[in-house]
Amino acid sequence: MSLPEALAPDQLSELIARCALRDQHAFARLYESCSAKLFAVAVRITRRRDWAEEVLQEAFVNIWNHAGGYNSARSAPMTWMTAIVRNRALDWLRRPREVEIGEEHEELMASIPDESPGPEELLRRSLEAGELAQCMKGLTEEQQRSLSLAFFYGLSHGEAAEQMRKPLGTVKTWIRRGLERLKACLEALDK
Amino acid sequence: MRIADEGLRDRLAAEYVLGTMSARARRRFEVYLRGNPQLRAAVARWEARLCPMADLLPGIEPPPRVWAAIRGRLKFDLPARAGFWSSLAFWRMSAFGSALAAVALAIVLGLPKPEAPAPEGRMVVVMHDLATNKPAMTASWDPGTPGGRAVRLRVLGHAEMGPHTAWELWMLPGGDGKPVSLGLITTHETQVVHVPAALAARLDAARGLAMSVEPEGGSPTGLPSGPVLYAGSSVRT
Repeated sequence: MSLPEALAPDQLSELIARCALRDQHAFARLYESCSAKLFAVAVRITRRRDWAEEVLQEAFVNIWNHAGGYNSARSAPMTWMTAIVRNRALDWLRRPREVEIGEEHEELMASIPDESPGPEELLRRSLEAGELAQCMKGLTEEQQRSLSLAFFYGLSHGEAAEQMRKPLGTVKTWIRRGLERLKACLEALDK
Repeated sequence: MRIADEGLRDRLAAEYVLGTMSARARRRFEVYLRGNPQLRAAVARWEARLCPMADLLPGIEPPPRVWAAIRGRLKFDLPARAGFWSSLAFWRMSAFGSALAAVALAIVLGLPKPEAPAPEGRMVVVMHDLATNKPAMTASWDPGTPGGRAVRLRVLGHAEMGPHTAWELWMLPGGDGKPVSLGLITTHETQVVHVPAALAARLDAARGLAMSVEPEGGSPTGLPSGPVLYAGSSVRT
């Protein structure tokens, strides 16, 4: 099988824009170009090929249906599509097992005040993996490991704690500190 | 307070994007997302930060059945491959399969040609539902006049059009002539289809009319590609 054609972000954005205009050829090209990368994301999170296939299918149906809402000034095309696939995969993964550690998040969420919409700042296009990788290196080994487990395998706090054989609170702290440091590092590089 | 809220918002957005929330928390968070542009912006920022990590994964080619399923769900006519439409569950579920549609068309095409056009009288077509054989739609127009034709349609009963489908009206010319599209129609009880002057003489001499169910936007092939639901022959009154 031939390798999927690697397209530049601008080309991908254009294809998504054409999808918004119901251009089926553009959609086919987008699929050819991105499906292998996105399938890998789904396989890693769901850990089952058949589930990953369902997820990829749903994700591409969403991509087609929501292409009109894509804003290339706000997010890079691969970021947008990866987020769609990840969200579908996480929903899928979380489907059978309900409970876990939702209470804390719920408490936090209940305290979010409703605020009137402010002007949405233009978001920078996604950082290159190079910058991200550089910042990841600045994290402790535990932070890196717990973040990777969560991101690539879709593990919840509890599952990550089990996997790493560490107390839940410890892993939560690693993840939180890891995210904070990552953000600070990436923002510093931005300037 | 505000800074604290921002910090909270950001932390939740990060955990959401990272994927550590439970199903229930995710759903609740998504409800907040809809009504909160600042939260959406925070999520978008975290997606921009974290999603490039996915680039580190080597790609895995999905099996061809995934694309076939996507195409099927979106009712694509792509790639234009013979038999593609007939393979869709959509057609299997409809009252008439493609093979039957072809038979139905052949029956209508084989009907005796109407009498030679006379200068007076009105053309009327009573189209029957080919599944129930009940009258389903009528069409009428004044033949023999210069210019185009205003074909008045009347849909009988309460017809329903499936989602992402369209109804296309076809003129069935005599002899071996292929059906000619007269455009898309609606399920409205009364409507008028304007036929251009170039087709007026052929319409007056046509054997009949038919309606087929097509994908949104009409037949991709220029000929009826879906099931023909209604058909009837022209009668001069």
